[in-house]
Amino acid sequence: MATAMATAAKPMTAEEKKVIFASSLGTVFEWYDFYLYGSLAGIIAKQFFSGLDPNSAFIFALLAFAAGFIVRPFGALVFGRLGDMIGRKYTFLVTILIMGLATFIVGVLPTYASIGVAAPVILIGLRLLQGLALGGEYGGAATYVAEHSPQNKRGAYTSWIQTTATLGLFLSLMVILGTRTWIGEAAFADWGWRVPFLVSIFLLAISVWIRLSMNESPAFKKMKEEGKTSKAPLTESFGRWKNLKIVILALIGLTAGQAVVWYTGQFYALFFLQQTLKIDGGTANILVAISLLIGTPFFIVFGTLSDKIGRKPIIMAGCLVAALTYFPLFNALTEAGNPDLAKALAASPVKVHADPKECSFQFNPTGTVKFTSSCDIAKQVLAASSVNYENVTTTGVAKIMIGDKVIESYSSKGLPADEAKKKDAEFKKAVGTAIKEAGYPAKADPAKINKLLVVAILTLLVIYVTMVYGPIAAMLVELFPTRIRYTSMSLPYHIGNGWFGGLLPTTAFAIVAQTGNIYNGLWYPIIIAGATFVIGMLFVKETKHVDIYAKD
Amino acid sequence: MWKIALGFGLFAVLAVFMLMSGGDIDMGGEKHGADAVHAPAAANAASGPTR
Repeated sequence: MATAMATAAKPMTAEEKKVIFASSLGTVFEWYDFYLYGSLAGIIAKQFFSGLDPNSAFIFALLAFAAGFIVRPFGALVFGRLGDMIGRKYTFLVTILIMGLATFIVGVLPTYASIGVAAPVILIGLRLLQGLALGGEYGGAATYVAEHSPQNKRGAYTSWIQTTATLGLFLSLMVILGTRTWIGEAAFADWGWRVPFLVSIFLLAISVWIRLSMNESPAFKKMKEEGKTSKAPLTESFGRWKNLKIVILALIGLTAGQAVVWYTGQFYALFFLQQTLKIDGGTANILVAISLLIGTPFFIVFGTLSDKIGRKPIIMAGCLVAALTYFPLFNALTEAGNPDLAKALAASPVKVHADPKECSFQFNPTGTVKFTSSCDIAKQVLAASSVNYENVTTTGVAKIMIGDKVIESYSSKGLPADEAKKKDAEFKKAVGTAIKEAGYPAKADPAKINKLLVVAILTLLVIYVTMVYGPIAAMLVELFPTRIRYTSMSLPYHIGNGWFGGLLPTTAFAIVAQTGNIYNGLWYPIIIAGATFVIGMLFVKETKHVDIYAKD
Repeated sequence: MWKIALGFGLFAVLAVFMLMSGGDIDMGGEKHGADAVHAPAAANAASGPTR
C-alpha cells in the first residue's frame, strides 16, 4: 500500500511502468480482436451469412447485433463479479484468453459453404464471447492500473488505458491492409481474411505471458488477506441503494455523455463524411484516421491534467462544448467537405408532401427492418441523398416536390420482389435526376474538398472525445470502494458505451430521415451530452482527491 | 516519455502511409455484419458506415 500512498512528483517506478504497459497492451489486443470483426464485416457476411434464407438471415442479423454490443454489460457483470471475488489479475487473464481464443477460432472456422448453418451459429457464438470478454476487460484494466497508481497520478496513469481503443482500431486495420497487400485482393477475399484473426494467437500469447508475470493489485491483495473481499459483489453493487445510486449517476452523469461524444467524434463523423457529404470512402477514412492520430496523445494530456484541476471540470467541459458546437462544426464540415452540397442545401428547398400517419420513425439498428410506405420510401431516398426537406401534411400517396417538379412516391408493401426492385430503381432515378438538376452533387468533388480544414474540424471533434474519455477511467474507479469496484464501474461504462453510444448511428439516421434535416441526427448526442452535463454538474462529486482505500 | 512520443510518431506515419496505399479501408470498426447482409437504403457506399 506504501507505493499507492506516495505523494510528491516521483518518477514512475519500473513496477508501475510494467503495470501500465502490460494492462494497456492487453487491452489494445482485446480491441484489436473486437474491431477485426467490424472491419471485416463485409467479407464475414459473405462467407457466413449470404447462404442463409431471408428469415434465418434476419435472425442472425439480430443476433450479430446483440452479440456485438448489447451483450457487453453482461460481460461487465460476469467478469466484474469475478474480479471482485477472486482478483483482478486472474480475471483479466480470463478475459484475454476468451477474447484471443474466440478470435483465433474465427480464423479457422469453416464457412457456410463447407459446414452449412453450423458456420454462422458458431460465428455468432464466438462474437458473443468477444462481446462478453470486452465487457470484462476494460473495468479490469482501469481498476488494476488505478490501484497501482500514486494518489495524485491516477488520471495520468489510467489515461494510457484510454488510448487503447483507438490504437486497437489502427492495429486491426494495419494488419488487414498488410495482409491484403502481401497476398493480393483476390486471395484475401478468399482465405486471406483469416490471417488477421489467426495473428491474434500470437498477441494472445504475448498478453498471457506478460499478465501471468504481474502481481495482483496491492489493494485487492490486502483485502483478500484480511478476509474483507465481497462474497456477493452483484448484490452489494446493485442491490443496495447507497451504491446503486452512484452506479446510476455514473451512467447518466458521466458515461452516457462520454459515450455519445466518443461515438460522434470517432464514428459518426466518418458516417457523415461518407454518407451525407458523399466524400469517397478512401479519402474519408484517411481524413478520419489522421484526425484520430493527431488527437490520440490528448487522452494522456487530459488524463494528466485531471490530476491537477480535477476530473469533473474536464469531462463536463467536454460534454458542454460538444453539445454547444456540434451544429456549427458539422455545418462547417459540409462547407469544407462538399461546398456544392452546402450551396444546394441553401438554394434548393425540397418538400415532402405526405400523410403523417404513413410516416414511420425509421429506427433500424440491425439493418433488417423494411420501411414500405410511400412516405418512408420518399424520405429514405432523400435522406440517403443528403437532401434537406420540409414536411408538408397532406393525404394520399407521398410526393416529393423539388421546386416546381413533382415526383410521386410509391408503397412497396405487398409488391412482388422484382416489381418492387423495378419501382425502386425508377423512383431513385427520377429523384436522382431531379435533385441533380436542383444542384445537389451526387458525389463530393475531390478537387473542392478543403482537406486541411476537414482534418482540423475532425481533430477538434476528437479533442472533445479525449476530454470526456481521458479522465473517466480514474473517475469511475474513484467512485467505488475496492471490494465492489470492478463490478460497479464496469456496468455503467458498458451500458453507456455499448448502448447509448452504440445506438447513436442508427438513431441519428432515423432522426434525419424523420425530420428532413441532415444535421438533426446530432440532436441525439447533443441532448444526451447536455443531460449528462446538467446531471453531472448537479449530482456527481469531484473525485480526484478521493482516497480509494478509505472505504475498504 | 520522449521515446514513447517518438514511437507513436513513427507508428502514426506508418499507419497513414499504409492506409493511403491500402485502397479500400474502413475506420468504422463497430459493424456487426448485419449491414452487409441487409444494407439499409442509406448505406450504399462500398466501404459502408457504422450500422
